[in-house]
Amino acid sequence: MEIKKAAVIGAGVMGSGIAAHIANAGIPVTLLDIVPEGAKDRYAIAKGALARMAKADPAPFMSRAAQKLVTPGNVEDHLETLGDCDWIVEAVIENPKIKHELYARLETITKPDAVVSSNTSTIPLSILTEGRSQAFKSSFMVTHFFNPPRYMRLLEVVAGPDTDAAKLAAIRSFADIRLGKGVVDAKDTPGFIANRIGTYWIQAGLNEAFDLGLSVEEADAIASRPMGVPKTGIFGLMDLVGIDLMPHIAKSLLATLPEKDAYRDIFRVEPFIERMIADGYIGRKGKGGFYRLNREGGGRVKESVNLKTGEWATSEKIKVEAAEAGRQGLRAVVDHDSKPGQYAWRMLSQTLSYAASLVPEIADSIVDVDEAMKLGYAWKYGPFELIDQLGVDYFADRLMAEGRPVPDLLERARGRSFYRVEAGALQYLGVDGTYADVVRPDGVLLLADIKRRSDPLLKNGSAALWDIGNGVTCFEFTAKMNTLDDQVMSLLAQALDLTGRSYKAMVVYNEGTNFSVGANLGLAMFAANIALWAQVEATVKGGQDTYKALKYAPFPVVSAPSGMALGGGCEILLHSDAVQAHAETYCGLVEVGVGVIPAWGGSKEMLLRAFANKRRPGGPMPPVAQVFETIGLAKVAKSAQQAKDLLYLRPDDGVTMNRDRLLADAKARALAMVEAGYQPPAPPEEIRLPGPSARTGFNLAVKDLAAQGKATPHDIVVSDALAEVLSGGAHDITEPLGEDDLLTLERQAFMDLIKTSGTLDRIEHMLETGKPLRN
Amino acid sequence: MNKNVVIAGYARSPFQFAKKGDLIKVRPDDLVAAAVKGLVERSGVNPQDIEDLILGCAFPEGEQGLNMARLVVMLAGLPRSVGGTTVNRFCGSSMQAIHMAAGAIQLGAGDVFVCAGVESMTRVPMMGFNPLPNPALAEAEAGAYMPMGTTAENLARKYQITRKAQEEFAVESHRKAAAAQEAGKLDAEIVPIETPGGSVDKDGCIRPDTSLEALAELRPAFDEEGTVTAGTSSPLTDGASATLVASEDYAKANGLTIMARLKSVAIAGCDPTIMGIGPVGATRKALKRAGVELSDIDIIESNEAFAVQTMSVAQELGMDLSKVNLDGGAIALGHPLGATGARITGKAAALLQREGKELALSTQCIGGGQGIATILEAA
Repeated sequence: MEIKKAAVIGAGVMGSGIAAHIANAGIPVTLLDIVPEGAKDRYAIAKGALARMAKADPAPFMSRAAQKLVTPGNVEDHLETLGDCDWIVEAVIENPKIKHELYARLETITKPDAVVSSNTSTIPLSILTEGRSQAFKSSFMVTHFFNPPRYMRLLEVVAGPDTDAAKLAAIRSFADIRLGKGVVDAKDTPGFIANRIGTYWIQAGLNEAFDLGLSVEEADAIASRPMGVPKTGIFGLMDLVGIDLMPHIAKSLLATLPEKDAYRDIFRVEPFIERMIADGYIGRKGKGGFYRLNREGGGRVKESVNLKTGEWATSEKIKVEAAEAGRQGLRAVVDHDSKPGQYAWRMLSQTLSYAASLVPEIADSIVDVDEAMKLGYAWKYGPFELIDQLGVDYFADRLMAEGRPVPDLLERARGRSFYRVEAGALQYLGVDGTYADVVRPDGVLLLADIKRRSDPLLKNGSAALWDIGNGVTCFEFTAKMNTLDDQVMSLLAQALDLTGRSYKAMVVYNEGTNFSVGANLGLAMFAANIALWAQVEATVKGGQDTYKALKYAPFPVVSAPSGMALGGGCEILLHSDAVQAHAETYCGLVEVGVGVIPAWGGSKEMLLRAFANKRRPGGPMPPVAQVFETIGLAKVAKSAQQAKDLLYLRPDDGVTMNRDRLLADAKARALAMVEAGYQPPAPPEEIRLPGPSARTGFNLAVKDLAAQGKATPHDIVVSDALAEVLSGGAHDITEPLGEDDLLTLERQAFMDLIKTSGTLDRIEHMLETGKPLRN
Repeated sequence: MNKNVVIAGYARSPFQFAKKGDLIKVRPDDLVAAAVKGLVERSGVNPQDIEDLILGCAFPEGEQGLNMARLVVMLAGLPRSVGGTTVNRFCGSSMQAIHMAAGAIQLGAGDVFVCAGVESMTRVPMMGFNPLPNPALAEAEAGAYMPMGTTAENLARKYQITRKAQEEFAVESHRKAAAAQEAGKLDAEIVPIETPGGSVDKDGCIRPDTSLEALAELRPAFDEEGTVTAGTSSPLTDGASATLVASEDYAKANGLTIMARLKSVAIAGCDPTIMGIGPVGATRKALKRAGVELSDIDIIESNEAFAVQTMSVAQELGMDLSKVNLDGGAIALGHPLGATGARITGKAAALLQREGKELALSTQCIGGGQGIATILEAA
């Protein structure tokens, strides 16, 4: 069964977000909702959802093309048109009666091989299918997305006893490969996996913060980085999802949880929070929550509420010793002799033992639980990985010493750990007490697994080269935030040499959050401060030479970015023979933000691309102007699709939706190029650039922008240097320029800029604040 | 003049916002061909007699490129015997077309001419697709490539015209245009244009609800410290216009409707950094050549590139604003650069007839520092 057409019923936040993401996969989707009473426009709700999503940031859609794939409609007029849909997702209000009525109608409409799934987060599948035919039951399952559906990677899939195995496999595979989801099999239990544990964790975190008398900042400093949880912590997370939502989630869980479930023991309604909700402090969507932005007097001051007095005060960045202790490991945090230390232990011990008590009730394996929490709540480590960090015995002993129950699974793990590496393979402890390999699905290749079982071919402080099989090497950036420096370039040169001698192809890839944030500015700043100009220029030249060598290497190089690929990290993509990009790749030549221009061949490659674009308007200026705008405004693509519009990616560069499939796809792409008899690219035809006239034109335009208050004085300086490179410097339009001429122009312009105080101020500001300086 | 020259017809397309209006999908050559066709049909001129199609356009490239005038002859279904020449004097292009026809008639080089103008500011951007200014000139002459908005700001400073006064002028322009549209006073001059979205027969830039309050909210468009906003500037516009210019003898012999007689014309250069003041020099010359005083003029069409620009000209010349732009000006109607000169000159002729007056002036400013003016008299 192939999914070619889909529908989502229910255009609320979840339904419309799911529809958008199915469209991101290139599949046409019909989005239906009810006809509002007395509405003039019978499509109003679905249309409204589309209009809202078109403007939303972060954007639910990856491209304009995806936006056009969603057709709005209503359930009164258009339900019958769903007869040709392969997959219909129900995301209507959590009311069994309404869902039953809808399913009864769908039953008569859908084609036999279609799948109907519910995005319910609270209603058991067994109740949903009550009264339906056998045929409907075999086509039905729960597909539980997380908000926002484009960005949260978890999809919990729940099959019923009657669900057809082939249909289940088809949806799992579509969700995995086309939607990029981490699909986790959950059982038909309340809250499934992630929300069952997540809700408990939030409740425990709130209770203990109130009981111990912690401030929201103290609590959030603990329930975040020290345990690999997003920096919002618990109070910040409540603000994000909506404080008013929590009582509803609790109510529906309490209605269906087993009688002796531990959540019932810790559930309580904090009067303080009830008052906040009554006063409209429901989180970011309201007038604030535990935190708020005070805009009085035109400023933006972050404030937090005092949990004892209800008063607001400026939220200061605080240092919590117990959190700082996290550098020595998680145990140092929970052992810390302080209130925040106690908080860490109480909140974490309750949550982890709750999780341990739920396997196999809610999932067959601990791996599923860990995956669910990592992908659905963006935890860096799952509950069982956290227990391993504490130590199974330490954890069980301390629970026992405090007279608290030790879950069976934890007891069984005593003397061992939940995960181990055996002969280079990652294994997990099963409920039967024996270890089994963590098996990756077909088409999933993780560098982390390769690193467990092998040593690098090459390695220095900033990069490494790995053998990933079938004659392919993988070049990995390893510095903090994957910044680029001389060491990366020197190892890359060695890697090209070694791959050329002993391998068939190379992939540039890593498993950091960001592919690379660009050149190491700290080093540039240091060299500039002591006027080591020759060294700075050597670094620029070195990068140019290495990237050029990569481009013309006698074997294919495929880059596989995910997350941010900025500056030099974008320039390596531009020089690669092909790019296989994760859909969530954010490319940009952002050099002007720190007062320089792309000088590792990025300006050159963008010009060559713009000139090669057959669809560009005629004349010497349009391609140059397009590149000037892209680089001059430091445009960053918000998806791989958008990167194609900006020319950072080529039309035929590949896009992989599932992060875990990226390396395998890139490797396959490289091998296919080898198979097809790879030849390195011929040097580009010389191009004719319009010369000083164009530079004058750009400068006039930028001065206009400055007059309008849209450009700063140093913008004028940086733009002029960029204009000089892109227009061909002093060369006349009658003088064709080659690659090396362009590299020389890049280097000269970079050196001119790096010597200006405006540029050094920008670099310093970026290093200190992480934000561009508008000088 | 030894041979009288008359305006014997005037027609135009509706004027619509560039980039968002109803004419965005119409090629400029098709747009002006429709206006020319409408003019020829309405005027009753025998097409075989037309000597030449003189077509004004400020950015003659892309779809406005090649010799568009000759192509428009074909598109409008005129006989092959009719010539075509495209002329560029920026915003003064199609008034220049009328002047050239008048000169040719007096030279005995033809009896009847179509003088048209067009600009699709949607399809050919201002500055064109390939702006390549001369670096040395850009350095030496500040006004050579100065943006029009900046020249408007310069006028505001020089003539001490406040933002509030400019906004009052803009509101008035919209009020007059809206009233004229409401009363059907614009219908006769408009030739409906067929577009992929259906027939378009109404101007689209007029905003009857323009208020001082709304205008006061806008940010300055060209200088963050300045006074000129999008609301006090003419909008980017798509449109075409056409006039029939003939010798009086020919018009009479062939039973054409004589709308007005040309009395004098003039061109004058000025400081490019205040190009908007260009009409002052041109008008003074034209008045002198016509042997009349400004106070003798009954009807004035003074193009509204910017509110402050028209106001500066009025202030310098001592113009009576109650005679200016009776049916609204470019701030409300729009300013498709190459089409404006034929519109305001054709309009001035039409107003002379409608209002039963004696003398009319049409004048406009031109980027780079020029003014152009035409004086008409009732025939």
